[in-house]
Amino acid sequence: MKRLLAVPILAALTVSACGGTGSGGAQATGGAGTAPAAKAVRIGLVTDVGGLNDKSFNTLANLGRQDAEKDLKVETKVTESKQQADYVPNLTSYAQQGYDLVISVGFLMANSTWKVAKQFPNVKFAIVDGAPADDAGKTENLPNVANLFFAQQEAGYLVGVIAAEMAKAKVGKATNNTVCSMGGIPIPPVDTFIAGYQHALQTISPTTKILNGYSNDFVDQQKGKEVGLRHIDQGCDILFQVAGGSGLGYIQAAKEKGKYAIGVDADQADVAPGVVITSALKRVNKAVYDSIKSVKENTFKSGDTFFNAANEGIGLGKLDPVVPASAKAAADKALADIKSGAIKPKTDIAVK
Amino acid sequence: MTVDMVIGASVLAATLRLAAPILLAALGGVISERAGVVNIALEGSMLVGAFVGIVAAEQTDSIVIGVAAAIIAGTLLAGIHAIAAIHWRSDQIVSGMALNILALGLTSYLNFQLYGTTGTPADVPDLPTVADQSILVWVSLALVPLTHLFLFGTVSGLRLRAVGEHPRAAETVGIGVRRVRYAAVLASGALAGLGGAYLSLSVAHSFTDGMTAGRGFIGLAAVIFGKWSPIGALVAALLFGYGNALSTSLQGATIGDTRVPVQLLGTLPYLLTILAVAGFVGRSRPPAADGVPYEKEGH
Amino acid sequence: MQWATGPAVPVISVIVALLLGAVFVAATGNDPIAAYAALARGAFGTPYDITETLVSAIPLVLTGLSVAVAFRTGLFNIGAEGQLLVGALAAGAVGARFAELPGPLLMPLVILAGILAGAGYGAIAGVLKAARGVNEVITTIMLNYIVVFVMHWLLQSGPMTAPSALGTPASARIGDGAILPVILPNELVPLSRLHAGILLAALAVAVFWFLLWRTSLGYELRAVGLGARAAAQAGIDPARRMALVMAIAGAFAGLAGMIQVSGVFQRVFDGFSSGYGFDAIAVALLGKNSPLGIVAAALLFGAFAHGGAIMQSNAGISSHLVSIIQALVLFVIAAEAIVRGIAGRSRRGRKPVEAIA
Repeated sequence: MKRLLAVPILAALTVSACGGTGSGGAQATGGAGTAPAAKAVRIGLVTDVGGLNDKSFNTLANLGRQDAEKDLKVETKVTESKQQADYVPNLTSYAQQGYDLVISVGFLMANSTWKVAKQFPNVKFAIVDGAPADDAGKTENLPNVANLFFAQQEAGYLVGVIAAEMAKAKVGKATNNTVCSMGGIPIPPVDTFIAGYQHALQTISPTTKILNGYSNDFVDQQKGKEVGLRHIDQGCDILFQVAGGSGLGYIQAAKEKGKYAIGVDADQADVAPGVVITSALKRVNKAVYDSIKSVKENTFKSGDTFFNAANEGIGLGKLDPVVPASAKAAADKALADIKSGAIKPKTDIAVK
Repeated sequence: MTVDMVIGASVLAATLRLAAPILLAALGGVISERAGVVNIALEGSMLVGAFVGIVAAEQTDSIVIGVAAAIIAGTLLAGIHAIAAIHWRSDQIVSGMALNILALGLTSYLNFQLYGTTGTPADVPDLPTVADQSILVWVSLALVPLTHLFLFGTVSGLRLRAVGEHPRAAETVGIGVRRVRYAAVLASGALAGLGGAYLSLSVAHSFTDGMTAGRGFIGLAAVIFGKWSPIGALVAALLFGYGNALSTSLQGATIGDTRVPVQLLGTLPYLLTILAVAGFVGRSRPPAADGVPYEKEGH
Repeated sequence: MQWATGPAVPVISVIVALLLGAVFVAATGNDPIAAYAALARGAFGTPYDITETLVSAIPLVLTGLSVAVAFRTGLFNIGAEGQLLVGALAAGAVGARFAELPGPLLMPLVILAGILAGAGYGAIAGVLKAARGVNEVITTIMLNYIVVFVMHWLLQSGPMTAPSALGTPASARIGDGAILPVILPNELVPLSRLHAGILLAALAVAVFWFLLWRTSLGYELRAVGLGARAAAQAGIDPARRMALVMAIAGAFAGLAGMIQVSGVFQRVFDGFSSGYGFDAIAVALLGKNSPLGIVAAALLFGAFAHGGAIMQSNAGISSHLVSIIQALVLFVIAAEAIVRGIAGRSRRGRKPVEAIA
């Protein structure tokens, strides 16, 4: 677990340090010392419309790609989709050029990937957060597509445990016994995080008041901050954001009013040190890395692959010192229980 | 639905916070259009202001330099628009739109170059607050009477308005139409840049790509709503800010047994604006020479 | 048909802009030649790429016509984006609701739904302007945002939500009879997505031209665009025409939305529009509000759409740099004075609205 955490952090630091060396960061270096005998394995990554710097899963997916390129010596390229109509041509472009693996990042691309994967049965595909969906909208697993799913509710549950323990014991500034969350928009990839969070709260600390809201946006920080300020007005002490860029505003509200916040997807401790007490990690980078590795090593498996507590596909982010040891212990136990199946975090929101 | 969801201290405070950037853009728009130039690039000025403000503040650890740099950046972008609109007699709308796209691309690119995927550092200096509102909120409010005074109580303001209404007549009496217009557009860029500084330094304490999210255009709508007057711009910005504040405070409200869908709450600021404009504002007449390139040499 | 300063000027502008862009590309450590080669390849390198450019251009032609028809009357239709979305929603709803109907019945229904819905939405701004003098810039900006949020609601948890494995808010699939078929056979251009919407777009261009230059209504509209005094002299009441014009403009944009749903997506996806309505403003102005100009400008934008993606994937150019280059092209084309100066022309251009065709 430590190595996995270290690699993305190190990679991120390296990327930002080397940021100025031309090509805007999205270019594969290919170049020096390509293996003479074997044909280089080529990977194409297509992001959804959120852009590479969405501070959540496109960013993580890109990180996974960069790590794989360095570690596994594969050639990788990236295309950022500017509009939904671009998904098909962007995927087709890599497939046409005979890439070994084409990765679609995001649930938005389920149907587009299905279309292109069907046209190129000899090219392998992977979808982050989804499975191929036919034109009627039904899932259809294809022999050349790997469906990479994440158990977001498990990550939500873990951070919910931390929040519940702190609220129950009135740790530090968490004195109001009220805890809240904010999503971007009420869709399943967002709501499952919150569902797990609320499940943990209701299980461990049933007296804690739970609030939930939405920013209606994934980019506008001010909107997220306003929801945060409103929740804090209503007594909230611990704010869990599931809203990408807008969620950073939610964290900012916590910072300004001296409350705590919980990040999502990537470890967001650095966004506001001392404020962000932990994060609900969704290791998209690991999923991308693993899938590239599987193609390189010829162990590619199509169909559903789950990234969850059992294989460290989700996890608990760095814990701030204010989090008491008892809370950490409770979270560790919850993780073990989830792995064993004793706890099954809910996927439906309790408090809308 | 409780009363404090609609009119409460927190809703009013939110209104001010949300209105401030729009007000600043709108004041800039008023000045520019009163002189006859439509500055569609206010959005771009605001965005570069937001970016440069954060970078400057973070690099020098001085909030004052951050705000100053933001203002300068916004002014520079407006300067390019001014040259295009006034000197080259470009189509003001297209060149303004082009500058907005340029601003978005440039700031996003530089953001990635400078800060990679980790984003702007967390230790950016703070802006002081007064009565729980950022000082820039109070500055924006203070600028309303000041702008009003300038436009309607000073000779320079009179000259500026003349240039916007009858540029040829103004030229005849010795007012340098081009010079006045340049100044007006630059001023509008400065104000928009300040609005950007508010967003990145006060609200978000960071920069994210495209963070202005259309506020510059809402500001332009506020200019028209407010009939090209600073006080009108204030009313428009406050109304819009209020609508936004409501869309947050009403989350969870129910009408009878059904919850108001959170997405529909998002339409509130826009609905309110249309209702107000249709019900109360009516006809808005722009300055006569607004948006028309001035050709000094005569037809 | 008017071309204010001659067709050579925009072409020279594009070249100047691309040169400027090359400077940017080189300054950031990339190879300009590789970059532009990728752009060209993506825009029209292979037949497939050409079809992709066309697919991207089609909605822009229609929204460009929408904005242009309003400009011709002296109105600024910023609302093309909202009208497009309304048209898409209507088309998607009708197409799904009557999915069992055969093509000859369903397709006209769906086309009509898109056109009427867009027209209705445009008319709101027109009526408000005619009846209450409300500036259409405000209303159309607001209406744009309103439909976005209503669309979120309709597709995420409202009546048009279709439960499906797509994982993203979307409506139910439209019936087969409502799908605009791909017009190039697979043997000719494999994988092509070029759909029959291109024919609808061509028809719309013809309608636009006919309406404005061959009907008395069109004459009146252009007269109104020259100013109220000119119109009054011709005995026309500008206010009455405004609702009609905004409705016509909305119809064009609504058709664009319908075409995207019918030809590209086969359902309404939340957030499917990348801002065609806003690009349309540049398309209309660059095209001088004239039919051929709009088509050319739409093709330019379409070229950048797919070409830009190839620039990123093949030449490693950051997508932000691609945007910067696109902005430079727009900026330089708009600043015709520079290019006219370079080309040695001394004839003055006229703002489209003030010109007489």
